[in-house]
Amino acid sequence: MKRLLTIILALTILLPVITMAVERLPKPEKLVLDNGLTVYFLKNPELPLVSFRMLIPGAGRAFEPQGFDGLASLTTSLLLKGTRTMSAEEIAEALDFMGARLSLSDAEEYAAVSGEALVEHLPRLLQITADCLTSPAFKEDEYKKELARKTDALKSLKDNPGAALRQYFRKAYFGSHPFGQLSSGTESSLKKMSLDEIKKFFASRFRPDTAIMAVVGDIDRDRLFGLLKETIGRWPKPNTAPPSLTIPPLPVPRGRKLILVDKPDATQSYFALGSPGFAVNDKISSAASLMNTLWGGRFTSWLNNELRIKRGLTYGASSSFQSWKDGGLFMASSYTKNDQIGQMLDITFDLLKKAREKGFSQEEAESARNYLLGQFPQTLETNGSKAGAYLRVVFYGLGFDYYDRYLNEITTVQAADLKKAALRLLPEKDFVLVVVGKADEVRKILSKYGQFQEKKITDPDF
Amino acid sequence: MPRKTGLSFISILIFLLVVTTMSEGAFKKEDIKVFKLDNGLKVILYEDHKIPNISYYTFFKVGSRNERPGLTGVSHFIEHMMFNGTQKFGPGEFDRLMEFYGGANNAYTSDDMTAYTDWFPPLALEKMVEMEADRMQGLIFDPEVFESERGVVASERRMGVENNNEAILQENVRATAIMAHPYHWDVIGWMSDILNWRRDEVIQYYRTYYAPNNAVLVVVGDFDSQKTLELIKKYYSSIPSQTPPPPVTTTEPPQMGRKEVVIKKEAQTPSFMVVYHAPKCQDPDFFALSILEKPLLRGESSRLYRRLVRDEQLAISVFGGIEEKIDPYLFTIFVKPRPGVDLDKIEKIIDEELHKVIEQGLTDQEYQKALNLIRSDFYFSLQTNSGKANLLGAAELLFGSYEQLFTLIDRYAQVKREDIPGVARKYFHELNKTVGKLIPQGGNQ
Repeated sequence: MKRLLTIILALTILLPVITMAVERLPKPEKLVLDNGLTVYFLKNPELPLVSFRMLIPGAGRAFEPQGFDGLASLTTSLLLKGTRTMSAEEIAEALDFMGARLSLSDAEEYAAVSGEALVEHLPRLLQITADCLTSPAFKEDEYKKELARKTDALKSLKDNPGAALRQYFRKAYFGSHPFGQLSSGTESSLKKMSLDEIKKFFASRFRPDTAIMAVVGDIDRDRLFGLLKETIGRWPKPNTAPPSLTIPPLPVPRGRKLILVDKPDATQSYFALGSPGFAVNDKISSAASLMNTLWGGRFTSWLNNELRIKRGLTYGASSSFQSWKDGGLFMASSYTKNDQIGQMLDITFDLLKKAREKGFSQEEAESARNYLLGQFPQTLETNGSKAGAYLRVVFYGLGFDYYDRYLNEITTVQAADLKKAALRLLPEKDFVLVVVGKADEVRKILSKYGQFQEKKITDPDF
Repeated sequence: MPRKTGLSFISILIFLLVVTTMSEGAFKKEDIKVFKLDNGLKVILYEDHKIPNISYYTFFKVGSRNERPGLTGVSHFIEHMMFNGTQKFGPGEFDRLMEFYGGANNAYTSDDMTAYTDWFPPLALEKMVEMEADRMQGLIFDPEVFESERGVVASERRMGVENNNEAILQENVRATAIMAHPYHWDVIGWMSDILNWRRDEVIQYYRTYYAPNNAVLVVVGDFDSQKTLELIKKYYSSIPSQTPPPPVTTTEPPQMGRKEVVIKKEAQTPSFMVVYHAPKCQDPDFFALSILEKPLLRGESSRLYRRLVRDEQLAISVFGGIEEKIDPYLFTIFVKPRPGVDLDKIEKIIDEELHKVIEQGLTDQEYQKALNLIRSDFYFSLQTNSGKANLLGAAELLFGSYEQLFTLIDRYAQVKREDIPGVARKYFHELNKTVGKLIPQGGNQ
């Protein structure tokens, strides 16, 4: 394959923008169920399919008690492992039989539910979804199986340097901040995990009145409303006040924080370099996404051009911004043979400096604008992606005209704005750098960047 | 049992539904326009104006299947070189111009084909047609760029295979199970070949396989067919056709006994897989095995998941199945075992489950589940322009014609539940089997 698709994915998930032509996110219809659940709906009769998404704010991993990494993730996976009326096998069998898809996952700020099916199977799919959310059995034996699987998956994760790097980086960057909680869990967190903690987390964090849902597909409004009332609508609203959704300010690195993770059998070294990004509703977002497109966000970006296209040091190099309600993260990463990691990092630092000092040309700005505008339509092509966009807009309070405004901003950003964005957002002296590789081969090379704290990949935790 | 009757009735209903939807749905065979240029280039066009974007997919009938020792991995390498310059557009210009016009792309190489997948706004159409036509014949293979790209592919191999235990095991198992046919090696090629490809040989390979008569163009999205065809004629007509490439004649001899390959490597967790020789996708047995694969391996309700992951708790995950290939390939069962478990026990359980299928077949419920999955997968793929382009191209290259796409679901539905045990018996036997184990050294073992 020519390249991994992560670059485009990162771009579109984090910073959806709109095309210059007709495609805008159509305004959905809003329904509020008796239990307070707000549902956004759009009919699309093109194929006999329906997709839905749901966000449950405050049920994400940032709200886990400190040290209980993996709690939100275990909670969401256990929700599919049995209810008062169905066993885990029965749920799996019912979903597979329909060829339907139902998944629950945890992000930092919220838990997410995602489902899709042929329209004739939607009633059953909604029934199962509601059952999982309203009457999970949380059986001891299912819990033990999930916990064991997670413990093993953690070992397997450490066999994969690219995947391990992301976890080490998260911990290094966020430390004890809630965004440092890892979905994978850690060796210590899984050891002290308990089913009681999971039940407690579920009871206090999963509720319909703050949740939002979007449904897009080949179904009429009235029929859908009827189905929702009989299913998700029966999820009782608790009498308690909703829990606080406040997250402490994101940490800001001061100076260089350098970590080397020794993986003695690695033939390549993997690096991740990060610094503060920006919040979802920050005015800089259009300039920042254009700047990132040029610096490390697409195939001909500076970073990929220098590391891959010109020098063949790597299969891929990229950077991205990830944004949340209260802040964000910039991250650049790549990998190369152990003995070339110094050359790779030198070039990366040079490019950061160049962007900050010289900025970008008008022609580059135009190219980035065309690229973001041209690639936008596919990001809202499916029922599922439209449903996801509705929830994003609502959750972050952006307004349904968000994409229209964003479009206008993109078209007006000039080269000078890109340099400003680079000066604010690309790191100079303050950053976190994590390298996973064979320490014996890279220790000396890395020493010129400063004192690295060393960890062994076989040691517990990240 | 009344349940049985009920299910058969449902299956008839679903069959009818499939047939009706396929003939009256939004995506119809009649709306697809097909042309062949004088130089042999086949063009498949489907207009879809929902979003202002075009998926422009070029498929070449070349993959690692067409390679030989010394040149393994070269199909994939040419896929990389296709972005590295022609007489008209210098190294890197393709990507630079494409992105300037708002386009993005990717490309992939498989054992059987190489595909170039472009997505761009309608305004970029003529530029993209021009550049795609140009690189079908005009690559320069600049020696310096050639060497740099060799490094990229070596890095891709290091990342994708050498630093990935599952991939190492898979490469070894494939090479053990298949000894004569070129499916013996992985698409990425052997490292020593990557480091030693000669420029002149690579150019010769490109000339042979990158010819209009060895390619299919699939365009789906927001364009006018007549105008687009004119553009395609304008830019592609002058490309000369080439002598058709030599056919792949090597046939894999029948396996004569169980094979096993053991990898010992630093790791925290073991890996395990079992493969059986399986038919090519145009063989009627392919459809039966593809149905069988679903209740056996797909999802948490599948027999092997329940047995290995849930009940016996020997594994973290299990997946696999049969792949659509031009020539006979493998039915794969891949298991991620839990650390420290007895791998022989996993093999024994897989044997038992396959034996059950041979003796008792699938239940009505399982058979129906497989057909439901096939149908919903199909519709999920039809949601996007690129999904449609991919399906059309795969049908054309693997099943012989894009038209096959519109009868594929029916061909699955024509497999009778009663046929499955016989087909299973034919392939899932000891003489046809290869087992692979990756056993961790050091680490936590």
